[in-house]
Amino acid sequence: MESQNLVLDLEKIEKAYPENPIEFFKGKKLCLFKACLEAYFPGVRWGIQDLLEALDIEVVTCSQQSCCSGTFFQRNLITRSQFSAINERNLNEMNHQADIVLFSCNGCYNSVLRGRDFLKVPEVKKKTQDILESLKKKDLGENYPGKYDILDNTELRLVHDLDFLYLLKSNVLDSLKFDLKGLKVAVHYGCHYLNLERDKDTVESYLKDKKKLDEFVSLFGGVPVDYQEKESCCGWGASQIVLNPKDALKVTFNKLKSAEDVGADFILMPCPTCLYTLSKPEYREKMFKWFGEMLDIPTIHLNELIAILRGCEEERCITLRRKTPRLEEIFNIITKE
Amino acid sequence: MDKYTDADWNWDFFKELVDDVDENKNIIACISCGKCVGDCPASKISNFNIRKIIQKILRGDRSVLKDSDIWFCFLCERCKRVCPKENINIPLLILNLRNESFKKGYGPKYNDLTKYVEMSERFLTNGTVLDNPLGKELPQDRVDELNEICNFARIKYVFKASKNKKQKKKK
Ligand code: SF4
Ligand code: SF4
Repeated sequence: MESQNLVLDLEKIEKAYPENPIEFFKGKKLCLFKACLEAYFPGVRWGIQDLLEALDIEVVTCSQQSCCSGTFFQRNLITRSQFSAINERNLNEMNHQADIVLFSCNGCYNSVLRGRDFLKVPEVKKKTQDILESLKKKDLGENYPGKYDILDNTELRLVHDLDFLYLLKSNVLDSLKFDLKGLKVAVHYGCHYLNLERDKDTVESYLKDKKKLDEFVSLFGGVPVDYQEKESCCGWGASQIVLNPKDALKVTFNKLKSAEDVGADFILMPCPTCLYTLSKPEYREKMFKWFGEMLDIPTIHLNELIAILRGCEEERCITLRRKTPRLEEIFNIITKE
Repeated sequence: MDKYTDADWNWDFFKELVDDVDENKNIIACISCGKCVGDCPASKISNFNIRKIIQKILRGDRSVLKDSDIWFCFLCERCKRVCPKENINIPLLILNLRNESFKKGYGPKYNDLTKYVEMSERFLTNGTVLDNPLGKELPQDRVDELNEICNFARIKYVFKASKNKKQKKKK
Protein backbone atom coordinates (compact mmCIF):
# COMPACT_ATOMS: atom_id res chain seq x y z
CA MET A 1 0.00 0.00 0.00
CA GLU A 2 1.25 3.49 -0.77
CA SER A 3 1.94 5.65 2.26
CA GLN A 4 -0.08 8.83 2.24
CA ASN A 5 1.78 12.12 2.34
CA LEU A 6 -0.60 13.19 5.16
CA VAL A 7 -1.01 16.79 4.01
CA LEU A 8 -4.19 18.42 5.28
CA ASP A 9 -6.62 18.88 2.37
CA LEU A 10 -7.31 22.62 2.55
CA GLU A 11 -9.59 22.69 -0.49
CA LYS A 12 -11.84 20.08 1.05
CA ILE A 13 -12.15 22.16 4.22
CA GLU A 14 -12.87 25.30 2.19
CA LYS A 15 -15.64 23.46 0.37
CA ALA A 16 -17.13 21.91 3.49
CA TYR A 17 -16.97 25.12 5.55
CA PRO A 18 -17.09 27.97 3.00
CA GLU A 19 -18.29 30.54 5.55
CA ASN A 20 -16.27 29.56 8.54
CA PRO A 21 -13.41 27.08 8.02
CA ILE A 22 -12.42 27.44 11.69
CA GLU A 23 -15.35 25.14 12.51
CA PHE A 24 -13.34 22.25 11.08
CA PHE A 25 -10.69 22.71 13.76
CA LYS A 26 -13.10 22.92 16.70
CA GLY A 27 -12.84 19.81 18.86
CA LYS A 28 -9.57 18.83 17.18
CA LYS A 29 -6.18 18.93 18.84
CA LEU A 30 -3.39 20.78 17.07
CA CYS A 31 0.25 20.03 17.79
CA LEU A 32 2.97 22.59 17.04
CA PHE A 33 6.00 20.87 15.51
CA LYS A 34 8.94 22.24 17.46
CA ALA A 35 11.52 23.72 15.12
CA CYS A 36 15.03 23.79 16.64
CA LEU A 37 15.50 27.40 15.57
CA GLU A 38 12.54 28.52 17.66
CA ALA A 39 15.06 28.48 20.50
CA TYR A 40 16.51 31.63 18.92
CA PHE A 41 13.14 33.06 17.90
CA PRO A 42 10.59 32.16 20.59
CA GLY A 43 8.10 34.61 19.06
CA VAL A 44 7.70 32.17 16.17
CA ARG A 45 6.22 29.64 18.62
CA TRP A 46 4.38 32.04 20.93
CA GLY A 47 2.87 33.94 18.02
CA ILE A 48 0.91 30.96 16.74
CA GLN A 49 0.30 29.40 20.14
CA ASP A 50 -1.23 32.59 21.59
CA LEU A 51 -3.36 33.06 18.47
CA LEU A 52 -4.73 29.50 18.59
CA GLU A 53 -5.55 29.85 22.26
CA ALA A 54 -7.36 33.11 21.57
CA LEU A 55 -9.31 31.37 18.80
CA ASP A 56 -10.31 28.61 21.23
CA ILE A 57 -8.45 25.92 19.34
CA GLU A 58 -6.81 23.27 21.47
CA VAL A 59 -3.06 23.44 21.01
CA VAL A 60 -0.28 21.23 22.38
CA THR A 61 3.44 20.61 21.85
CA CYS A 62 4.91 17.11 22.01
CA SER A 63 7.66 16.64 24.58
CA GLN A 64 8.75 13.40 22.85
CA GLN A 65 9.47 15.05 19.49
CA SER A 66 13.07 15.35 18.27
CA CYS A 67 14.61 17.59 15.62
CA CYS A 68 13.40 16.67 12.12
CA SER A 69 17.00 15.67 11.25
CA GLY A 70 16.76 17.28 7.80
CA THR A 71 20.11 18.96 8.27
CA PHE A 72 21.81 15.58 8.79
CA PHE A 73 20.07 13.93 5.88
CA GLN A 74 21.01 16.79 3.60
CA ARG A 75 24.67 16.40 4.54
CA ASN A 76 24.67 12.64 3.94
CA LEU A 77 25.14 11.88 7.63
CA ILE A 78 22.11 9.55 7.84
CA THR A 79 20.47 7.31 5.22
CA ARG A 80 17.03 7.68 3.72
CA SER A 81 15.57 4.95 5.93
CA GLN A 82 17.16 6.37 9.07
CA PHE A 83 15.77 9.76 8.15
CA SER A 84 12.31 8.28 7.55
CA ALA A 85 12.52 6.35 10.83
CA ILE A 86 13.29 9.54 12.76
CA ASN A 87 10.30 11.16 11.08
CA GLU A 88 7.97 8.24 11.71
CA ARG A 89 9.01 8.13 15.37
CA ASN A 90 8.08 11.77 15.70
CA LEU A 91 4.80 11.33 13.84
CA ASN A 92 3.89 8.32 16.01
CA GLU A 93 4.44 10.41 19.13
CA MET A 94 2.34 13.26 17.82
CA ASN A 95 -0.35 10.90 16.66
CA HIS A 96 -0.85 9.91 20.31
CA GLN A 97 -1.52 13.49 21.21
CA ALA A 98 -3.08 15.33 18.32
CA ASP A 99 -5.11 15.31 15.09
CA ILE A 100 -3.16 17.90 13.14
CA VAL A 101 0.51 18.96 13.18
CA LEU A 102 1.43 22.56 12.35
CA PHE A 103 4.83 23.62 10.99
CA SER A 104 6.42 27.02 11.55
CA CYS A 105 9.54 26.04 9.55
CA ASN A 106 9.84 25.28 5.83
CA GLY A 107 12.72 22.93 6.60
CA CYS A 108 10.83 20.79 9.12
CA TYR A 109 7.76 20.69 6.86
CA ASN A 110 9.81 19.64 3.85
CA SER A 111 11.67 17.07 5.94
CA VAL A 112 8.57 15.31 7.16
CA LEU A 113 7.01 15.28 3.68
CA ARG A 114 10.28 14.08 2.17
CA GLY A 115 10.51 11.31 4.76
CA ARG A 116 6.97 10.24 3.86
CA ASP A 117 7.90 10.38 0.17
CA PHE A 118 10.76 7.96 0.67
CA LEU A 119 8.32 5.41 2.09
CA LYS A 120 6.88 5.10 -1.42
CA VAL A 121 10.05 3.21 -2.31
CA PRO A 122 9.40 -0.38 -1.09
CA GLU A 123 13.02 -1.01 -0.20
CA VAL A 124 13.28 2.16 1.93
CA LYS A 125 9.94 1.40 3.55
CA LYS A 126 11.10 -2.06 4.53
CA LYS A 127 14.35 -0.78 5.97
CA THR A 128 12.49 1.93 7.88
CA GLN A 129 10.12 -0.63 9.35
CA ASP A 130 13.10 -2.83 10.28
CA ILE A 131 14.68 0.07 12.15
CA LEU A 132 11.43 0.72 14.01
CA GLU A 133 11.24 -3.02 14.82
CA SER A 134 14.73 -2.84 16.30
CA LEU A 135 13.46 -0.16 18.69
CA LYS A 136 10.65 -2.51 19.73
CA LYS A 137 13.11 -5.31 20.42
CA LYS A 138 15.24 -3.07 22.57
CA ASP A 139 12.11 -2.13 24.49
CA LEU A 140 13.58 1.28 25.03
CA GLY A 141 11.58 3.20 27.60
CA GLU A 142 9.63 1.38 30.32
CA ASN A 143 6.39 3.19 29.61
CA TYR A 144 6.68 2.89 25.88
CA PRO A 145 7.50 -0.66 24.91
CA GLY A 146 7.36 -1.29 21.17
CA LYS A 147 5.12 1.43 20.01
CA TYR A 148 6.44 2.68 16.69
CA ASP A 149 5.13 1.59 13.30
CA ILE A 150 4.95 3.33 9.95
CA LEU A 151 1.72 5.31 10.01
CA ASP A 152 -0.08 3.71 7.09
CA ASN A 153 -3.71 4.26 7.99
CA THR A 154 -3.78 7.32 10.08
CA GLU A 155 -6.05 10.29 10.52
CA LEU A 156 -3.10 12.50 11.45
CA ARG A 157 -2.67 15.47 9.10
CA LEU A 158 0.12 17.98 8.49
CA VAL A 159 -0.09 21.64 7.54
CA HIS A 160 2.33 24.54 7.11
CA ASP A 161 1.56 27.56 9.32
CA LEU A 162 1.23 29.85 6.30
CA ASP A 163 -1.39 27.62 4.66
CA PHE A 164 -3.23 27.19 7.95
CA LEU A 165 -3.23 30.90 8.77
CA TYR A 166 -4.35 31.76 5.24
CA LEU A 167 -7.28 29.39 5.53
CA LEU A 168 -8.33 31.15 8.74
CA LYS A 169 -7.46 34.63 7.50
CA SER A 170 -10.72 36.24 8.53
CA ASN A 171 -10.31 34.96 12.09
CA VAL A 172 -6.70 36.12 12.10
CA LEU A 173 -7.77 39.58 10.91
CA ASP A 174 -10.52 39.80 13.54
CA SER A 175 -8.00 39.12 16.28
CA LEU A 176 -5.70 42.03 15.34
CA LYS A 177 -5.38 45.22 17.31
CA PHE A 178 -3.04 47.09 14.97
CA ASP A 179 -2.34 47.31 11.26
CA LEU A 180 0.76 47.81 9.13
CA LYS A 181 0.03 51.52 8.55
CA GLY A 182 1.07 51.36 4.92
CA LEU A 183 4.55 49.98 5.60
CA LYS A 184 6.26 48.53 2.54
CA VAL A 185 6.94 44.84 2.90
CA ALA A 186 9.17 42.56 0.82
CA VAL A 187 7.99 38.98 1.18
CA HIS A 188 10.26 35.95 1.11
CA TYR A 189 8.60 32.53 0.85
CA GLY A 190 11.76 30.44 1.13
CA CYS A 191 12.83 27.69 -1.29
CA HIS A 192 11.28 24.82 0.59
CA TYR A 193 7.90 26.49 0.53
CA LEU A 194 8.15 28.08 -2.90
CA ASN A 195 9.50 25.06 -4.74
CA LEU A 196 7.59 22.41 -2.86
CA GLU A 197 5.33 20.17 -4.90
CA ARG A 198 5.06 17.31 -2.46
CA ASP A 199 1.94 18.75 -0.86
CA LYS A 200 0.15 19.89 -4.03
CA ASP A 201 -2.32 18.04 -6.23
CA THR A 202 -3.11 20.69 -8.80
CA VAL A 203 -1.38 23.53 -10.60
CA GLU A 204 -3.97 25.94 -9.13
CA SER A 205 -3.13 25.03 -5.55
CA TYR A 206 0.53 25.33 -6.44
CA LEU A 207 0.17 28.84 -7.84
CA LYS A 208 -2.21 30.03 -5.15
CA ASP A 209 0.41 29.35 -2.49
CA LYS A 210 2.83 31.76 -4.07
CA LYS A 211 0.57 34.71 -3.31
CA LYS A 212 -0.48 34.00 0.24
CA LEU A 213 2.17 36.11 1.98
CA ASP A 214 1.66 39.03 -0.43
CA GLU A 215 -2.06 38.87 0.26
CA PHE A 216 -1.50 38.81 3.99
CA VAL A 217 0.58 41.99 3.74
CA SER A 218 -2.28 43.78 1.95
CA LEU A 219 -4.87 42.43 4.38
CA PHE A 220 -2.73 43.66 7.29
CA GLY A 221 -2.74 47.17 5.81
CA GLY A 222 0.75 47.12 4.30
CA VAL A 223 2.04 47.37 0.74
CA PRO A 224 3.72 44.28 -0.73
CA VAL A 225 6.66 45.42 -2.86
CA ASP A 226 8.14 43.46 -5.71
CA TYR A 227 11.89 43.02 -5.80
CA GLN A 228 14.36 41.38 -8.14
CA GLU A 229 15.48 38.63 -5.75
CA LYS A 230 12.03 37.81 -4.38
CA GLU A 231 12.25 34.13 -5.31
CA SER A 232 15.91 33.61 -4.57
CA CYS A 233 17.31 31.54 -1.73
CA CYS A 234 18.10 33.16 1.65
CA GLY A 235 21.64 31.81 1.35
CA TRP A 236 21.36 29.03 3.93
CA GLY A 237 21.40 26.51 1.08
CA ALA A 238 21.41 23.32 3.16
CA SER A 239 24.31 24.64 5.22
CA GLN A 240 26.26 26.20 2.32
CA ILE A 241 26.56 29.16 4.66
CA VAL A 242 28.59 26.97 7.00
CA LEU A 243 30.61 25.25 4.26
CA ASN A 244 31.19 28.10 1.80
CA PRO A 245 30.25 31.21 3.76
CA LYS A 246 31.55 33.82 1.35
CA ASP A 247 29.70 32.44 -1.66
CA ALA A 248 26.52 31.71 0.25
CA LEU A 249 26.48 35.13 1.91
CA LYS A 250 26.69 36.71 -1.52
CA VAL A 251 23.28 35.16 -2.19
CA THR A 252 22.04 36.52 1.15
CA PHE A 253 23.53 39.92 0.41
CA ASN A 254 21.91 40.13 -3.02
CA LYS A 255 18.55 39.28 -1.51
CA LEU A 256 18.72 41.84 1.31
CA LYS A 257 20.13 44.51 -0.98
CA SER A 258 17.47 43.97 -3.60
CA ALA A 259 14.74 44.40 -0.94
CA GLU A 260 16.42 47.53 0.46
CA ASP A 261 16.81 49.00 -3.02
CA VAL A 262 13.05 49.03 -3.61
CA GLY A 263 12.53 50.76 -0.28
CA ALA A 264 11.06 47.87 1.69
CA ASP A 265 10.65 48.61 5.41
CA PHE A 266 11.16 44.96 6.34
CA ILE A 267 11.24 41.41 4.93
CA LEU A 268 8.49 39.01 5.96
CA MET A 269 8.92 35.20 5.84
CA PRO A 270 7.32 31.99 7.07
CA CYS A 271 10.51 30.13 8.11
CA PRO A 272 12.89 30.52 11.09
CA THR A 273 15.84 29.09 9.12
CA CYS A 274 15.53 31.84 6.51
CA LEU A 275 15.01 34.31 9.36
CA TYR A 276 18.22 33.14 11.01
CA THR A 277 20.22 33.52 7.80
CA LEU A 278 18.76 36.85 6.82
CA SER A 279 19.00 38.43 10.28
CA LYS A 280 22.07 37.07 12.08
CA PRO A 281 24.19 40.09 13.13
CA GLU A 282 27.47 38.20 12.53
CA TYR A 283 26.40 37.49 8.95
CA ARG A 284 25.48 41.13 8.38
CA GLU A 285 28.93 42.13 9.61
CA LYS A 286 30.65 39.59 7.40
CA MET A 287 28.69 40.88 4.40
CA PHE A 288 29.82 44.38 5.27
CA LYS A 289 33.41 43.20 5.40
CA TRP A 290 33.25 41.20 2.18
CA PHE A 291 30.87 43.21 0.02
CA GLY A 292 31.36 46.69 1.43
CA GLU A 293 27.85 47.64 2.45
CA MET A 294 26.13 47.43 5.83
CA LEU A 295 22.53 46.34 5.29
CA ASP A 296 20.15 46.91 8.16
CA ILE A 297 16.77 45.97 6.72
CA PRO A 298 14.76 44.23 9.48
CA THR A 299 13.38 40.70 9.07
CA ILE A 300 10.23 39.27 10.69
CA HIS A 301 8.58 35.81 10.73
CA LEU A 302 4.87 35.74 9.92
CA ASN A 303 4.02 34.34 13.37
CA GLU A 304 5.99 37.14 15.04
CA LEU A 305 4.25 39.74 12.90
CA ILE A 306 0.84 38.41 13.84
CA ALA A 307 1.88 38.57 17.49
CA ILE A 308 2.95 42.22 17.07
CA LEU A 309 -0.29 43.08 15.27
CA ARG A 310 -2.27 41.40 18.03
CA GLY A 311 -0.59 43.66 20.57
CA CYS A 312 1.59 41.14 22.31
CA GLU A 313 4.43 42.38 24.53
CA GLU A 314 7.55 43.21 22.61
CA GLU A 315 9.65 40.65 24.47
CA ARG A 316 7.26 37.87 23.63
CA CYS A 317 7.02 38.63 19.91
CA ILE A 318 10.58 39.61 19.02
CA THR A 319 13.65 38.18 20.63
CA LEU A 320 15.54 40.77 22.56
CA ARG A 321 18.89 39.66 21.19
CA ARG A 322 17.73 40.43 17.68
CA LYS A 323 16.64 43.96 18.46
CA THR A 324 18.11 46.48 16.09
CA PRO A 325 17.18 50.16 15.86
CA ARG A 326 15.22 49.63 12.65
CA LEU A 327 13.30 46.65 13.98
CA GLU A 328 12.46 48.64 17.09
CA GLU A 329 11.26 51.47 14.86
CA ILE A 330 8.96 49.12 12.90
CA PHE A 331 7.56 47.79 16.18
CA ASN A 332 6.85 51.33 17.37
CA ILE A 333 5.20 52.39 14.10
CA ILE A 334 2.88 49.37 14.10
CA THR A 335 1.94 49.57 17.76
CA LYS A 336 1.35 53.32 17.92
CA GLU A 337 -2.24 53.84 19.12
CA MET B 1 31.32 22.52 -27.53
CA ASP B 2 30.70 19.02 -26.26
CA LYS B 3 33.89 17.08 -25.85
CA TYR B 4 31.94 13.83 -26.17
CA THR B 5 31.12 11.82 -29.26
CA ASP B 6 28.40 9.23 -29.69
CA ALA B 7 30.94 6.51 -29.03
CA ASP B 8 31.24 7.78 -25.48
CA TRP B 9 27.83 6.54 -24.25
CA ASN B 10 28.33 4.24 -21.32
CA TRP B 11 25.55 3.20 -18.97
CA ASP B 12 27.51 1.53 -16.17
CA PHE B 13 27.69 4.50 -13.86
CA PHE B 14 24.07 5.44 -14.55
CA LYS B 15 22.95 1.89 -13.77
CA GLU B 16 24.82 1.90 -10.49
CA LEU B 17 23.16 5.14 -9.45
CA VAL B 18 19.74 3.78 -10.43
CA ASP B 19 20.40 0.57 -8.51
CA ASP B 20 21.04 2.69 -5.47
CA VAL B 21 18.15 5.15 -5.89
CA ASP B 22 15.51 4.06 -8.38
CA GLU B 23 14.27 7.61 -8.98
CA ASN B 24 17.58 8.45 -10.67
CA LYS B 25 16.38 6.58 -13.75
CA ASN B 26 14.34 9.64 -14.70
CA ILE B 27 17.42 11.68 -15.59
CA ILE B 28 17.51 9.80 -18.85
CA ALA B 29 14.64 12.01 -19.98
CA CYS B 30 16.81 15.14 -19.64
CA ILE B 31 16.71 17.15 -22.88
CA SER B 32 19.66 19.36 -21.91
CA CYS B 33 17.51 22.47 -22.09
CA GLY B 34 19.51 24.16 -19.33
CA LYS B 35 16.50 25.64 -17.54
CA CYS B 36 17.72 24.17 -14.27
CA VAL B 37 21.07 25.90 -14.67
CA GLY B 38 19.58 29.29 -15.45
CA ASP B 39 17.58 29.31 -12.23
CA CYS B 40 20.10 27.60 -9.97
CA PRO B 41 21.55 29.65 -7.06
CA ALA B 42 24.63 27.43 -6.90
CA SER B 43 25.39 28.03 -10.58
CA LYS B 44 25.37 31.76 -9.94
CA ILE B 45 28.20 31.52 -7.43
CA SER B 46 30.25 28.55 -8.67
CA ASN B 47 31.02 26.34 -11.66
CA PHE B 48 28.29 23.94 -10.59
CA ASN B 49 26.26 23.01 -13.67
CA ILE B 50 23.66 20.31 -13.25
CA ARG B 51 23.08 19.88 -16.99
CA LYS B 52 26.75 19.03 -17.47
CA ILE B 53 26.72 16.71 -14.46
CA ILE B 54 23.78 14.78 -15.93
CA GLN B 55 25.62 14.54 -19.25
CA LYS B 56 28.71 13.18 -17.55
CA ILE B 57 26.67 10.55 -15.71
CA LEU B 58 25.01 9.42 -18.94
CA ARG B 59 28.45 9.10 -20.54
CA GLY B 60 29.72 7.05 -17.61
CA ASP B 61 32.19 9.73 -16.63
CA ARG B 62 32.84 9.14 -12.94
CA SER B 63 35.03 12.18 -12.54
CA VAL B 64 31.95 14.01 -11.20
CA LEU B 65 32.54 12.23 -7.92
CA LYS B 66 35.83 14.03 -7.52
CA ASP B 67 34.44 17.38 -8.61
CA SER B 68 34.16 19.86 -5.79
CA ASP B 69 31.17 21.25 -7.71
CA ILE B 70 28.73 18.66 -6.44
CA TRP B 71 29.16 20.05 -2.93
CA PHE B 72 27.84 23.45 -4.03
CA CYS B 73 24.21 22.43 -4.60
CA PHE B 74 21.85 24.29 -2.21
CA LEU B 75 19.26 21.47 -2.33
CA CYS B 76 16.72 24.24 -2.84
CA GLU B 77 14.58 22.19 -5.28
CA ARG B 78 14.26 25.09 -7.69
CA CYS B 79 15.45 22.92 -10.59
CA LYS B 80 12.71 20.41 -9.85
CA ARG B 81 10.21 23.20 -10.14
CA VAL B 82 11.44 24.61 -13.47
CA CYS B 83 12.42 21.38 -15.25
CA PRO B 84 10.03 20.68 -18.14
CA LYS B 85 10.39 16.93 -17.61
CA GLU B 86 8.42 15.05 -15.00
CA ASN B 87 10.09 13.49 -11.99
CA ILE B 88 13.70 14.47 -12.53
CA ASN B 89 14.78 14.84 -8.91
CA ILE B 90 18.13 16.63 -9.00
CA PRO B 91 18.58 17.28 -5.26
CA LEU B 92 18.15 13.56 -4.64
CA LEU B 93 20.62 12.75 -7.42
CA ILE B 94 23.13 15.16 -5.89
CA LEU B 95 22.74 13.54 -2.46
CA ASN B 96 23.33 10.19 -4.12
CA LEU B 97 26.47 11.44 -5.89
CA ARG B 98 27.77 12.90 -2.64
CA ASN B 99 27.18 9.58 -0.96
CA GLU B 100 29.22 7.79 -3.63
CA SER B 101 31.88 10.44 -3.35
CA PHE B 102 32.05 9.92 0.42
CA LYS B 103 32.37 6.17 -0.04
CA LYS B 104 35.36 6.72 -2.29
CA GLY B 105 36.89 9.08 0.25
CA TYR B 106 36.56 12.26 -1.82
CA GLY B 107 33.97 14.09 0.32
CA PRO B 108 34.72 16.89 2.80
CA LYS B 109 36.17 15.90 6.12
CA TYR B 110 33.33 16.40 8.57
CA ASN B 111 35.60 16.05 11.56
CA ASP B 112 37.11 19.36 10.59
CA LEU B 113 33.72 21.02 10.32
CA THR B 114 33.23 21.93 13.94
CA LYS B 115 29.69 23.20 13.35
CA TYR B 116 28.63 19.74 12.13
CA VAL B 117 30.40 17.93 14.89
CA GLU B 118 28.63 20.13 17.42
CA MET B 119 25.24 19.72 15.76
CA SER B 120 25.65 15.94 15.48
CA GLU B 121 26.73 15.76 19.10
CA ARG B 122 23.73 17.74 20.27
CA PHE B 123 21.35 15.67 18.17
CA LEU B 124 22.66 12.42 19.62
CA THR B 125 22.67 13.73 23.20
CA ASN B 126 19.62 16.05 23.28
CA GLY B 127 17.66 15.32 20.11
CA THR B 128 17.98 18.89 18.86
CA VAL B 129 20.63 20.84 16.97
CA LEU B 130 20.72 23.82 19.34
CA ASP B 131 21.40 24.20 23.03
CA ASN B 132 18.61 25.34 25.33
CA PRO B 133 15.60 24.22 23.31
CA LEU B 134 12.38 26.13 23.81
CA GLY B 135 10.40 24.01 26.27
CA LYS B 136 11.40 20.72 27.87
CA GLU B 137 14.41 18.68 26.81
CA LEU B 138 13.82 15.33 25.09
CA PRO B 139 13.64 12.47 27.64
CA GLN B 140 16.70 10.18 27.73
CA ASP B 141 14.72 7.14 26.50
CA ARG B 142 13.84 8.99 23.32
CA VAL B 143 17.46 10.09 22.87
CA ASP B 144 18.48 6.42 23.20
CA GLU B 145 16.02 5.60 20.43
CA LEU B 146 17.60 8.20 18.15
CA ASN B 147 20.99 6.63 18.80
CA GLU B 148 19.61 3.22 17.95
CA ILE B 149 18.09 4.57 14.71
CA CYS B 150 21.39 6.18 13.74
CA ASN B 151 23.44 3.01 14.25
CA PHE B 152 26.20 2.71 11.65
CA ALA B 153 25.37 6.11 10.19
CA ARG B 154 28.04 8.66 9.36
CA ILE B 155 26.58 10.96 12.02
CA LYS B 156 27.89 8.52 14.64
CA TYR B 157 31.42 8.52 13.25
CA VAL B 158 31.50 12.31 13.17
CA PHE B 159 30.38 12.22 16.76
CA LYS B 160 32.91 9.58 17.79
CA ALA B 161 35.71 11.37 16.00
CA SER B 162 34.89 14.52 17.94
CA LYS B 163 34.96 12.59 21.22
CA ASN B 164 38.34 11.09 20.39
CA LYS B 165 39.68 14.49 19.47
CA LYS B 166 38.48 15.94 22.76
CA GLN B 167 39.97 13.11 24.78
CA LYS B 168 43.29 13.51 23.02
CA LYS B 169 43.24 17.21 23.77
CA LYS B 170 42.55 16.53 27.47
CA LYS B 171 45.48 14.16 27.66
S1 SF4 C 1 18.56 22.06 -5.85
FE1 SF4 C 1 20.73 22.31 -6.37
S2 SF4 C 1 20.79 22.03 -8.60
FE2 SF4 C 1 18.67 22.42 -8.06
S3 SF4 C 1 18.41 24.64 -8.34
FE3 SF4 C 1 18.88 24.27 -6.17
S4 SF4 C 1 21.10 24.52 -6.03
FE4 SF4 C 1 20.61 24.25 -8.22
S1 SF4 D 1 15.72 21.54 -16.71
FE1 SF4 D 1 15.40 19.30 -16.68
S2 SF4 D 1 15.44 18.69 -18.84
FE2 SF4 D 1 16.32 20.76 -18.74
S3 SF4 D 1 18.58 20.42 -18.56
FE3 SF4 D 1 17.75 20.60 -16.47
S4 SF4 D 1 17.31 18.47 -15.83
FE4 SF4 D 1 17.55 18.45 -18.07
